[in-house]
Amino acid sequence: MKVFEHLPHIDFMKYKGIALAVSWGIILLCFLWIHPWKGANSHVKLGMQFTGGIDMMVAFKGDVHQDDLRAALYKGGVQDAGVVYYKDKPGTSMFSIKVKARKGQDEKDSTIQIKQITDALKGMDAVAASDHRMDLNTESVNTMEDHWVQTNPLGLPAGDETALRLAYGPWITKVAKAREQYTPMTSYDQLPQDLPPQLRASLEKNYRLGNLSILKIESFSPSISGEWTWRTLQAVFWAMGAILVYVIFRFTVSFSVGGIVALIHDILMALGLFVFFGFEFSVPVVASFLILMGYSMADTIVVFDRIRENSHKPEYRRVDIVKLVNDSINQTLSRTILTSLSVLFVAFCLLVWGGHALRDLSFPIFVGVITGTYSSIFIAAPVVVYWDHWFGGHDKIKQHAHARS
Amino acid sequence: MTKRSLWRLTVTLLICGACAYFFIPLSQVRLGLDLKGGVHFELEVQGNEALEADLRDTRDRLQDRIREKGCPDAVLKVNQNQLTAVGIPPDQRPDVEKVLKAFYGYDVSWAQTGFTMVQTAAYQKSLKDDANKRALQIIENRINQFGVAEPEITATGSEGNRIVVELPGVGDAERERIKGLLTTPGRLEQRLVAKADPTQGRGFPTREKAMEFFKGKLPDNTELLPEPVSDRELREQGKDPAVHTQGQPEQIRAWVLVEEKVYVDGADINKADPSVDPSTDANQINYTLNKKGADDFATLSGIAADEQRLIAIVLDRKIVSTLSCREKIVGGSVRITGHFTKADTEDFALKLKSGAMRASMKFLEERAMGPSLGADSIHSGVRAALIGFLTIICFMVFYYKWSGVNAIVALTVNIIVMLGLMGSFHAVITLPGIAGFALTIGMAVDANILIFERIREELGNGKSVPGAIQTGFDKVFWTIVDSHVTQLFAAMLLFIFGTGPVKGFAVTLTVGVCASLFTSIYISRFVYDWILERHPGIKTLSI
Repeated sequence: MKVFEHLPHIDFMKYKGIALAVSWGIILLCFLWIHPWKGANSHVKLGMQFTGGIDMMVAFKGDVHQDDLRAALYKGGVQDAGVVYYKDKPGTSMFSIKVKARKGQDEKDSTIQIKQITDALKGMDAVAASDHRMDLNTESVNTMEDHWVQTNPLGLPAGDETALRLAYGPWITKVAKAREQYTPMTSYDQLPQDLPPQLRASLEKNYRLGNLSILKIESFSPSISGEWTWRTLQAVFWAMGAILVYVIFRFTVSFSVGGIVALIHDILMALGLFVFFGFEFSVPVVASFLILMGYSMADTIVVFDRIRENSHKPEYRRVDIVKLVNDSINQTLSRTILTSLSVLFVAFCLLVWGGHALRDLSFPIFVGVITGTYSSIFIAAPVVVYWDHWFGGHDKIKQHAHARS
Repeated sequence: MTKRSLWRLTVTLLICGACAYFFIPLSQVRLGLDLKGGVHFELEVQGNEALEADLRDTRDRLQDRIREKGCPDAVLKVNQNQLTAVGIPPDQRPDVEKVLKAFYGYDVSWAQTGFTMVQTAAYQKSLKDDANKRALQIIENRINQFGVAEPEITATGSEGNRIVVELPGVGDAERERIKGLLTTPGRLEQRLVAKADPTQGRGFPTREKAMEFFKGKLPDNTELLPEPVSDRELREQGKDPAVHTQGQPEQIRAWVLVEEKVYVDGADINKADPSVDPSTDANQINYTLNKKGADDFATLSGIAADEQRLIAIVLDRKIVSTLSCREKIVGGSVRITGHFTKADTEDFALKLKSGAMRASMKFLEERAMGPSLGADSIHSGVRAALIGFLTIICFMVFYYKWSGVNAIVALTVNIIVMLGLMGSFHAVITLPGIAGFALTIGMAVDANILIFERIREELGNGKSVPGAIQTGFDKVFWTIVDSHVTQLFAAMLLFIFGTGPVKGFAVTLTVGVCASLFTSIYISRFVYDWILERHPGIKTLSI
């Protein structure tokens, strides 16, 4: 089986002007829509690592509406929270709650804010108003232990507090493990099976089952956020520089420029679409952009390699560069498509089945693989052709190639 | 089997065996906090505080020495980042200069009747480094004593002033307590309540009231320190401390005027233990001082007893307790009774034992993750990776027939090598790492596709099967190297600039790129050569 039964003869370079115009046009449109120069008012969504702030993930038992959660937070004094709903497991509603840090905010403020948010969330439980028992799903482990040590449900010899703590501690850990597993626990049956009946009875009597479970709390100081942005940009620029130098060393300047232009095109395109589809930047997402860079370049190299190889062949000695490039692209077309497909499969699987945590990360790669293939043909190769038209004679590339080989 | 093939088989099996050896003890592979759950803190040592502490310390020591040298009027003051002295008569200057020689690390500039001292840059650096080292050590001590399994405590940052603390499996409940242990310097000071204090140690209700009383300027060498209301007191007033203190600024009971001079500090403490007073049931802390500390404490209690003054026990610039002395106390065994809860005394004793930090900590990042979120992520991540992997396998066999099987052999070796390398690096598997793993498998197949397409092309040009395989591998070699190197650049830069989960991602990618280079060029070639050897006259290749 083959992609093409016969070697294709497509005149790719005929479309180089249109391709350049269309794809840079799309990038420009995305850029205009995003208007990043407006800072906070732009469409760019930055994760809390970059802006500083609180990032929480909570789960409720049953259906909770996003607006109710917002209203509760607002009432609890947290006005500027971003709330996103995730449907993950049936019977629970998951939310991500994000609160951006104000300027000059310190660690104490964020502790207060976290407390405010959790209080507001706990207040959403309708049962809490009538049932004043402690909440088994959110009560701190220390308080639970204190409670058992005081009431001593197992009827152990009283007096020695340390001994009591040693006796009840492991059971508390087991209960905590169970509630972490069920997020949140919905029935007392989910308590560990080997729990002594007295302890189980004590829990059932003194605790109610709240509908809230806190899955994740992250808090980032605003002072570290600028640093993250800087580190990220540094990584991207160094990677580009390293690739540029390597390609100059292995090929020629024109190839290097073509490759970098294609690379920038891919990054900008993926960036534009990433923001357009409303994804949020986080540090792992930046990592995936770097992977995209590596991949895009690898793809371009396959085409460049063939151009270089063909330029040595006697039949291309007296041929126009456009034909050289066109033939090379046609000869490698099937493998360019196939190699992209294999990575595209994986990126697609991660995007669809990878859960929301991997979704953000695999989107740039998914887009990048497609544009990477496209740009190797329609961006990188035309730049080489233009470069040759503007700066060199018709045999420039061939001479370079000879010198290198 | 020829010697060459045998040799290659040995190499392959050795590598696979070694990788399996590294990977099979699955305990080697650790899950990152994002998968396992736990807390992650990134702290910054506030090095400038160490500089200030050193200035104050130098002032105390210098003041005594200069006054001994016959300048009773000399007054030393800490003014931002410099130490200024006034009241030194010019004729005493040579004597004082001699004293100053013992205080290295300072630049001294003389004026008419005094001098100004500034820390040199090198000295500042050494002070900061020392503060960083101490902070790291103390955090390790405290975490170890708190009893967390497999804590990971590392110093990072360009100046080494960052400390990353990762505690797997720590739940939300212990988080706040550990946070408290990490931030408070644990600096214990024993000072005197100032003579000028009109309230006999009871203090002023607010800072403003105190400033008003002293008409906006405190007496020389004194400062106002707050005395917070403890949890126990709140409970006695019928309030729940958990509700009243969490997330809110501490309630201050009083502001007390104390002398700036520290007579005994935490560095001289040998032993500290929490205990309970059998007669009153109050929680208390006992500690013993070393020789120097005991002598200093004797001096302190002597002054307190003679002048009927109170001793203030100050922890982290807050007054914990004030005590009166009836006589000079020798022997260096001290007991503090205050309004403490049991947990208070335990943490307090722990801090005293682990020593005092030179500077406080600032929280830059704090992450707490429950294990359920990680379990879900592992589940969906691994599922997606498996689906991707199976799709690729099916595609390769469908498209390249038996050669596709060759690619699968290479891919399997690739996975074994990757796991082995990661096991030997003690790499941490993170969620992005799982994604990276899946993606590198996709990219590893690319190399095989390039080779197979090339072989097909050569066959189409009329080459024999061995010839096509030979040229196919030779011609594609540099293409594969070039494309892998560019990917390696990206992966390495991720490793350099990334932290935490991203580093895990970078390690998987780097390892994956290297493994793919090896398997596509070496293993696939070996499989083909072996088949050619078994069937010498082969006319067609299943590709």
